[in-house]
Amino acid sequence: MKKILLPLIVLSFPSLLQAATAATQLEGGFKVGPAIILITILILFVMVGIVFRAKDTTDFYAAGRGISKVGSGMAIASNWMSAASFLGMAALMYGSGYHGLAYVVGWTGGYVLLLILMAGQIRKYGKYTAADFIGDRYYSKTLRAVSAIIAILISISYCVGQFGGIGLMFKWVMGIEYSWAVVIGGTVVLTYTLISGMLGVTKNMQIQYIIIIISFLIPLFILTAKFDYFWLLPQIGYGSVVSDTISGLPINETKELINSLGHDYAIVPAPEFAMPWDPPTGKTFFQWIAIAFSLMIGTAGLPHVIQRFYVVPKARDARWSVVWGLFFICILYWSAPAYAAFGKILSAHPEVGTLAKDAIVVYTAQLGNIHPLIVGLLAAGGVSAAFSTVSGLLVAGSSAFAHDLYVKVINPDASPKKQLLYARLGTVLMAIIVTLIALKNFALIGQLVAVAFSLAGCTIFPLVLLGIWWSGSNKSGAIAGLITGGTISVIAITYFIAGKSGVTLPAHEFISYWLEAWYFAWIGAPLAIIVHIIVSKLTKETPLEIRKFLIEQVHS
Amino acid sequence: MDPQQNDYHFSFFKPTTDSARRNRNMVLQFVLIWAVAIFGFQILLRILEKPTPEPAYIQFETSWKNIEAGEPVTADFQNAGQAALSVLGKVAIDPEHRKVLDNAVSWMAFQLAEGAQKEILKAAVSDFEKIAESTQIITDADYVAAKNKLIPVLVDLFNLQPLDVRGKIAPLEVKASLMESFNAGGRELFVEAMGLYLIHNRSVLTDFKFLGFPFHYFYTAVFLLILFVGLCWLYCIRTDMFNKKYGIED
Repeated sequence: MKKILLPLIVLSFPSLLQAATAATQLEGGFKVGPAIILITILILFVMVGIVFRAKDTTDFYAAGRGISKVGSGMAIASNWMSAASFLGMAALMYGSGYHGLAYVVGWTGGYVLLLILMAGQIRKYGKYTAADFIGDRYYSKTLRAVSAIIAILISISYCVGQFGGIGLMFKWVMGIEYSWAVVIGGTVVLTYTLISGMLGVTKNMQIQYIIIIISFLIPLFILTAKFDYFWLLPQIGYGSVVSDTISGLPINETKELINSLGHDYAIVPAPEFAMPWDPPTGKTFFQWIAIAFSLMIGTAGLPHVIQRFYVVPKARDARWSVVWGLFFICILYWSAPAYAAFGKILSAHPEVGTLAKDAIVVYTAQLGNIHPLIVGLLAAGGVSAAFSTVSGLLVAGSSAFAHDLYVKVINPDASPKKQLLYARLGTVLMAIIVTLIALKNFALIGQLVAVAFSLAGCTIFPLVLLGIWWSGSNKSGAIAGLITGGTISVIAITYFIAGKSGVTLPAHEFISYWLEAWYFAWIGAPLAIIVHIIVSKLTKETPLEIRKFLIEQVHS
Repeated sequence: MDPQQNDYHFSFFKPTTDSARRNRNMVLQFVLIWAVAIFGFQILLRILEKPTPEPAYIQFETSWKNIEAGEPVTADFQNAGQAALSVLGKVAIDPEHRKVLDNAVSWMAFQLAEGAQKEILKAAVSDFEKIAESTQIITDADYVAAKNKLIPVLVDLFNLQPLDVRGKIAPLEVKASLMESFNAGGRELFVEAMGLYLIHNRSVLTDFKFLGFPFHYFYTAVFLLILFVGLCWLYCIRTDMFNKKYGIED
């Protein structure tokens, strides 16, 4: 592989240097340097996918259970650090200030719940997918099928934001229309997932993690050094940027600090950037709490996250892989707010105009006058982040389609070859649906992804939580709980789509506030759990063999 | 208790073995720390916060009263204009609010100009607007020259300091067509917008600095994440110790 990649990089170097001036404009135009970096990285991913491609169904679904805990931690981090983390988080903080930190806390705090309540036990249960676990634990083919469908819906919802991120970055690099960028980016990520399967994906995820984190951190070191902050640890150094934003920065007397458009590095006092639930942001205390809570329980209910615990050899590895995964994730999450803070000052002059929030990470680097090739690497990192997550999601979704629906419900005698064919067919179908929805550009990337979290929090989370920790949780309770969580989800998503389509439904304002699409799990999940418990208590108890299995295998 | 005696029934809150009991206690401790650290702190922020105006708002409030009472002095228009420019310098403003703020700033600039200076100002602003309209890029020489010509005029009118950012913003917000009148509806919305953008929820937790950060921001953006990693690490260490003690094989 080195034989192919090195000449490619060497050959492309003159073009990279030549491209240095072409990428200085914030928007528009084909940017040769960033494009070559992006293509090189994509080729690298595909080649790793080919080298480590899935050879059979076990490889495709669970990477042969041969990944180390640090490696799995890196894969968890890469799988997790999607376009929502790389591009979306800074966008939310840039637009809504302190409110955006609810996403930072929500997307990390959930791992504590996941670890102490689920990781080890799920691995001990020994199933391939979340639907597998639910179908088996609740001794119900119907629940298996419904869970598989929910897993597919969650994957689709999650992927929409990713495709949006891929589209934005392809648009920025190639200077093409957003719609074409989504279609081209979607096709590339689909091809790659089909070639590699989970084994290639897992290996790739480790490489992707390194690319993502390096591309994210380098511009930040440069920005903090350039604007005279503590650059050795930019994750702390940007604290002064936040304080400067609050108190305001007068024009520098020496005129040394300017952005790439020639504006002074200066800003009027803007406390709304950092003060909690500040009125101009239009966000409230309740929304902060609801978002953080929904994202946290959603984290512990996401099928593609749960599925990652099956790829480690032992339950202990599953636990430690969460620690490593969270640490690797936090390196990016400690850094993302810094982009928002720098972006706020660098884009403060009205002449900069309105910037697409979801691309603020890249715009900030551009406005900070960072070398275009490094900005290109940053954009490629954004694409890598989306790629690593999308491939994991497509595998999770196609696993649900082929393994949980086709093999376990429709055709139990299907050959492994046919199973793999259906998995790939499922992947293609999902990619097409996701592309069509992503073209609508419904909301910010982070918000679109948050819908998937609330959906998972209302449906999968209560089933897995109670299924593991309470032998009294039975099929009837699970069905009742799922109907409750599902109903809340349908109401919230219907109102969201209606609102985006310009249709006003009854009590629209009330429902849109209390059950907004990115945080409806704050009430949906607790209600689903309560109903699940009540109905379980009132109906026939869980069969003995399941209770025995739980005690002897899962909790022993 | 032997699980068989209990017919293999168990729940998190009623563990059947000593190791399960210890695990439950550990999980409860961790969940409690986790919940208090996240939600407890935000609730504390909420309890302590007080709507606190920016200095620009305090300056605006007094001056605007005088303007509305029909007894303004030059300093009142200057103070209110400076405050309005403070809002216009913020990145995210509702388009309706921007419109009314532009009206306010333009009208106040016109009020500050004296005699024949009024028409000169209007003509200068109008010329700049025409150049700005036809300019494709902000580095265009004509555009930059016209802007730089207008800046000192407005800085002088609003009595701004030379290094004040608002001086650079002013030419982009003052509009010739909005100079002569500022109607009652606009004035009402203007006062509302000033309050919205210049009053913030602050407390001792937001004003205290730690490692350069406002403390609450450091706590949420940095410390909580350290705590999460620490909790996970501690949980794994303790689980490994328990498993070793009770001979539990993974």
